[in-house]
Formats: sequence, structure tokens, C-alpha cells
Amino acid sequence: MPYLGHLLNSKVQDSADAVIGRLKDILIIPKAGKYDALEFLAVKTNRPKKVIYIPYEYVENLSRKEISLKNTFSNVNYSEAIGDSYTFLKRDILDQQIVDMEGARVVRVNDLRLGPVNGKMSVIGVDISGQGLLRRLGVEKWNFLSPFKVHLIDWRETQPVKGVLKLDIGSKDLNRLHPADLANIIEDLNIKQGSQLVTSLDAKRAAKVFEEVDPRLQKNMVKFLSPEQVTKILSQMSIDEVVDLMKTLSKEEVKTYLSQLQSGVAQEVESLISYPDDTAGGLMSLDYMTVRPEWTVKQTIEEIKLASPKFRSILYIYVTDVDQHFYGAVSLRRLIISEPEKNLKELLKLFPATSILKPNQKFTEIVDIMTKYNLFTAVVLDKKRRLLGVVYIDDVMRTFAPQA
Amino acid sequence: MKKKLRRNWIKLLFFFSVVGPGIISANADNDAGGITTYSIVGAHFGTKMLWVLLLITFSLAVTQEMGIRIGLVTRQGLGGIIRENFGVRWTAFAMVTMLIANLGTMTAEFAGIGASLSILGISKYVAVPIAAFIIWFILYKGSFKTTQKIFLIFSAFYIVYIINGFIIKPDFGQAFASMFKPTLEWTTPFLLTMIALIGTTITPWGQFFIQSYVVDKGLEIKHYKAEKAEVYLGAFITDIVSFFIIICTAATLYQHGIRITDAKDAAIALEPLAGHLAEVLFAFGLFAASVLGAFILPTATAYAICEAAGWEYGFNTKWKDAKAFYSIIAASILIPALIVIIPKISLINIMILSQDVNGILLPFILIFVMLIINNKRIMGEQVNSWFDNLISWATIFGIIAATVVLVFSSIIGLN
Repeated sequence: MPYLGHLLNSKVQDSADAVIGRLKDILIIPKAGKYDALEFLAVKTNRPKKVIYIPYEYVENLSRKEISLKNTFSNVNYSEAIGDSYTFLKRDILDQQIVDMEGARVVRVNDLRLGPVNGKMSVIGVDISGQGLLRRLGVEKWNFLSPFKVHLIDWRETQPVKGVLKLDIGSKDLNRLHPADLANIIEDLNIKQGSQLVTSLDAKRAAKVFEEVDPRLQKNMVKFLSPEQVTKILSQMSIDEVVDLMKTLSKEEVKTYLSQLQSGVAQEVESLISYPDDTAGGLMSLDYMTVRPEWTVKQTIEEIKLASPKFRSILYIYVTDVDQHFYGAVSLRRLIISEPEKNLKELLKLFPATSILKPNQKFTEIVDIMTKYNLFTAVVLDKKRRLLGVVYIDDVMRTFAPQA
Repeated sequence: MKKKLRRNWIKLLFFFSVVGPGIISANADNDAGGITTYSIVGAHFGTKMLWVLLLITFSLAVTQEMGIRIGLVTRQGLGGIIRENFGVRWTAFAMVTMLIANLGTMTAEFAGIGASLSILGISKYVAVPIAAFIIWFILYKGSFKTTQKIFLIFSAFYIVYIINGFIIKPDFGQAFASMFKPTLEWTTPFLLTMIALIGTTITPWGQFFIQSYVVDKGLEIKHYKAEKAEVYLGAFITDIVSFFIIICTAATLYQHGIRITDAKDAAIALEPLAGHLAEVLFAFGLFAASVLGAFILPTATAYAICEAAGWEYGFNTKWKDAKAFYSIIAASILIPALIVIIPKISLINIMILSQDVNGILLPFILIFVMLIINNKRIMGEQVNSWFDNLISWATIFGIIAATVVLVFSSIIGLN
């Protein structure tokens, strides 16, 4: 099974062993999740000097030793121009970056492995190893201590990134990935390609991915996306993430984006933006569900079912009156095991005052409190005991490990 | 005098308020090799080479601007673009070229550290290994941003050359005249020093550095005009400093026929300002400049090579995932440090010859840059203007011609 690096610039002969020219490129039509069959050889002929495209069905032998055709050259029906639906393996793939979807990272293609699949010569793997580099340099034998092993990635698990992302093929594949993995890929790509990838996703998913991207890159990417795209993504992001992003932008930019968001959302963002990052106010999320104390358990569960799509996660529900005065929190577990006709008020347990956060409380204190009481979430109340927000343990973790 | 000082302070404040890639890169250009080369240019040849300095100010501005433009358009480092457009073999050639030049420069930085601390009475056998370890440690921990800023501020030390220049009251008329009157001596020392002068001002690593900087910071194309102005300003400021170093050493050392064989000799130029503290002041400046360069170079080298080869890189990666990245950084600290602590090796010679290596290798890197920036497929409408092309090709052929003459003259033994 040949490597592309071995084949390029080799002589191409017809069935009468007459040299037609040298192999310059190989063309495929990329399809998602397939080993793509070779479609054409691009051959540079000697006299006259021009590039011709020979359909792969004429090829008898494609190996390191010999590239030969089944017919004599005069019987080959070649073309001199080719449509733009083809991907050129050398021009578009070799030496370029590709997304390795299994590893959720971006790598550079050192060589391509070809081989027969279902009787058709196809691209089967991408070599990203140092051995591939040595092979391309023509000094494979230098690898005597073999520090480099061949490392092939399955062709079906890759996604080329050159030029415009091939969205129609790609987006479906990319949708398989976890938002955090996609965010990693975006961080590996250059900002142009990264922004393109984000726009290729639907707004909801784009928002989820965007939330996972490194804050510094988030800030830069906002400038690369159109204002409409930004607004679309922002409106799908959770409020606290929007707030974090807004904090990095200039006052005018914040104004523009806020004016395009729903007025309710914009108001919430504005109220949160004033808290410093390392306080409970800066860390808290507005992504939580509140219920009334007089509701029954059954009624509450029905409400949760209805409202669920709006929330990122529901671990606890928070009992407040209409003016947001805080009564207590009830876990889903407690809700499920309770009598359906009981009032929520009856489920409330004594809530230790020391486990309640004030908006200006420092990060270290939050960590202490959450650790001491084993909390997944902690509520933030103002002086009048009104619920301002909830600090989630994952936001605390993120502050500890911003690189992850 | 007071007024003058105050004006300088205002200038200094302005300087730090507009710091961007152009000024950082240009400032880091005045590293150990830079100070030494400019000092030797002035001390050994007086103001004879000022015309070269004037010309390469334009070259520096234009080449750095090209780096910014490629970065803004392609959003990729130079290493990556070379790989994607020239294939593996040419990439290997470009990377080896850059690596040799950068190892040379890095050796100069350690020589600068050794030389400056030896003025203060610390032996290079102690200073260089400790400095190498600290630099490696800070880079490995990835916490060099603050450190880099501190040393950037220290590099404001160059102001003393400007003040000093006014105190000496050199013949400015004659200095300006020699900027516009080309003088050439067909001798090996002259040509060698001239190539070093070019190679320390316009560097291969500077070309890689400025482009990665633009990409890394996510600068936008709409800032292009501002960036261009900043790069031009950076080139201008750097070369004003170089100008003053040269006229200071010309008015002191050259006047009295003192040749620089040791870093201490170069410090004599600062005596009119600092008196007996001249040596300490010079040591401080040389040390700060060397360390600043020593932080930037291993990183710039590792970024370029990893980007071209497709290995993981960046300080937010872990050792396990980015072994190549951290190994290149470690090697480009270790090898130069080892060279510097070879007994009896002349630190001054290291500092100037490494700049020659840079100068001789520079055209190869610039040719890649030229082929990229004039390629419409890559750059679209942002290809070079005829003016950019004229300056760049003139620079490339100027250096090649000087190198050829140098080789020729050393063979037939002109001296």
C-alpha cells in the first residue's frame, strides 16, 4: 500500500511502457465517513508541457515501483480541465491542517496512506508522524533509532480545513463532537477558520461551543464574526457566560450588543456586569429555576418538565416568593421521593445561614463554604434576602483550571 | 538640561503607551548582539557606516510591515505558511536556516549575560548556567509575560545613550553628512562588521516573531494602518538608539583609537554621562537587553518549528502533549549556554559573529517572505507595492552582494 509521498513526481507509463509524464496530484470527491476512492490522476506531460487529468479506471498499477495505465495513451480518454467539486490530495490536504475528530485536535498532514477498499484504491489514513516527515524528505533510513513511529489517523475520522470548511460534509460530522472538544479544535485553528467553524453550526450549538472557548479567543472571535452572528450566539448563551464575555469588551461594544439582545436578557446582563470576577456576584449564574412555596410537589414536577429546555441543568429548584425573597432550596431527589400532594413549604429544611453567599464575597471564601457544606451549588442573596443568583461548582472549578 | 530631561520623560511615557508588536520586536532587536555590534561599528569605524544604518532603517520598517501584513491576512505564523506553500523540503531548509541563526543569536544573548555580569565581578561559569536555568524555568512554567514586560521596561536603558550623546556634543553635522555619503572599505573587518550591522538590525527571528505576535493577539485587519504606523515608528526608534550608540562610541573610543576586545571597553563610551559608574550602567543595560532576547528567542524558535511540523505548541499545552515544543526550548537554551562557557572563548567575538551568521542567512528567509507576499492566491489584494518590493529586493541583494564580496576578500586576503 503506497504513500502519496512516494508516488508524487513518479513517472506515469501507459500499457506500452511509454512515459506519459509525472504524477502531480490525485483527485478525490470527499464524502463524510468514507474512505474516498481516487477519481483522477493529475499528470504533467512532457511535450507539450501541460497538466492532464486521467480517470482512475485507466490505472493498472499504482505503487512505489510503478504507476502504469491499462491502455496505450492514445486510447485514454483524459480531460484537460476539471470541475471544482474535487479535492486535490497534494494541493488541499498534504502539508495542510486537518481536524482529527477522534482526538479532537488539529494536526498537520505529513503524508497520506492509500490502499484498496472494496476493490477501489482509496485514501485510508493520514500520517502525522515524524516518520512521515522523513519519508517526504527522502531520508526514511535516518530513522535508525526509530524515535518516530508511523502514526496513522483513520481517513474517515478527519476533516480538511483548507480554505472554506466543507460545511455540507463537515457539519454533520462535527456535530458528533462534544462542545468542549469542538472548542479545543477551534482553539487550534487560526481565528479565520475558527470563526467559520462556529458560524457553520446552528446558533444553539454554536453558543454551547462558544462558551467553552478560551475567554481571550472569545473576545477576539467576536470581532471576526458579523454583529448579527454574535447577537444570535449571545442570545443562546447562558447569562453568566455573556456577562463574562462582555466584561472583556469595550463599553461601546457592550452597548451595541446589549441593545440587540432581548430587553429582559440585556437587563440581567447589565445588573451582573458590575460585579468583579472573583466575587460571588461575578461567579454566579442566573441559570436556575424558581418555584413558589405553596406549589405542590406534583405541580412543581409538571412545571419542571415544561421549563426544562430553558435551563442548562437542574440540580435544585429554588423556592422564592414573587419578589424573589428566598425560602430555601429543594433537590430533585427530595422532590421525586416526596408525596405528590405535599406543599413545597413542607419540604424545606433549615437552611444554614452560613452557607448563603453575599454578592461581594471573595472567591476563597466561596470555596471554603462550598467545601465545608459539600455543596454543588450555593445561593447568593442580597441584604433583603432576595435571590440574586446561584454559584455552580463547575464555575468554581473553571476558575481553578482556566486552561482545561 | 532639566528641560531636556523632562522632554525625554514625556517621550518615554509616550513610548510605553503605544507599545505593540512593532516596538517590542524592534526593541528586542537591540539585544546583546545589537549593543555590541553598534558599539564596535562606532569604535572601529567611526561614523563611516551610518549610511548603512539609514538605509536599513527603511529595510527594517518594510520587512517588519510585511510580517504584519502576512499575519493579518493569513492568520498563520510564517512557519505554517512556508510549509503549506513550499512543501516539506523547502520547509526543512527554512527551518534549519532559522534554527542556526537563532542558536547563534541565543549564544550572543548568553555571551551578553556572561560579559555584563563579569563587569560586576561574577564569573561566566557561575552566571551563565544560573541564568540559563532561570530562563528555562520561567519559560517552562509559562509565566514569562510579566518578566518580559519588566525587561522591556529595563530596555529603556537605551535612553542613556541618547542623553550621553547630547552631553558628548559630537559633531552632528559630520554624523549627518556620513549618513548620506556612502563609504565602503574593501577589507574583511569592514565587510564583516557591516554584515553584522545589517544582521543585528533585521533578523530572521524578528520576521517570525512579529508575524506570530499579530496572529497570537488576534489583531484585526482594520488595525492594519495603526500597526503599520507602529512598525515604522518602532524601526525609527530602534535606529535612533543605534545611531546614538554609534556616535557615542565614535566620539569616545574611535577618537582615541581604542578597540573593543572586552565588554568593559564598550562601557567607556558612557563615561561622559556616568563617570566611574559607566561600567555598572553599561553592564545593567547589556544584561537587561540580553535577558529580554533570551526570553523571546527560544519561544519564537519553538513556535515556528512546531507550527511548520504540525507538532503541538504553546504554553497552555502540557509536556506530555508537546514534548517537541518544550524540547526545542530547552535545547535552544542549553546548547548556546554550553558554547558560552567554553573556556577562553571571546564573548565579544561571539556577539558580533553571531550577528554575521544572522545577516548571511537573512536573505534566505526574506526570499520566502517575498514569494509569499507577492502571491495573489495567498495575499489577495494585499500583495506588495512596487516600493515594498524595491526596498526588500534591494536589501536581499545588498546582503548577498556584501557576503559574496566578504568571502571573496577573505580568500584573496584583502585586509
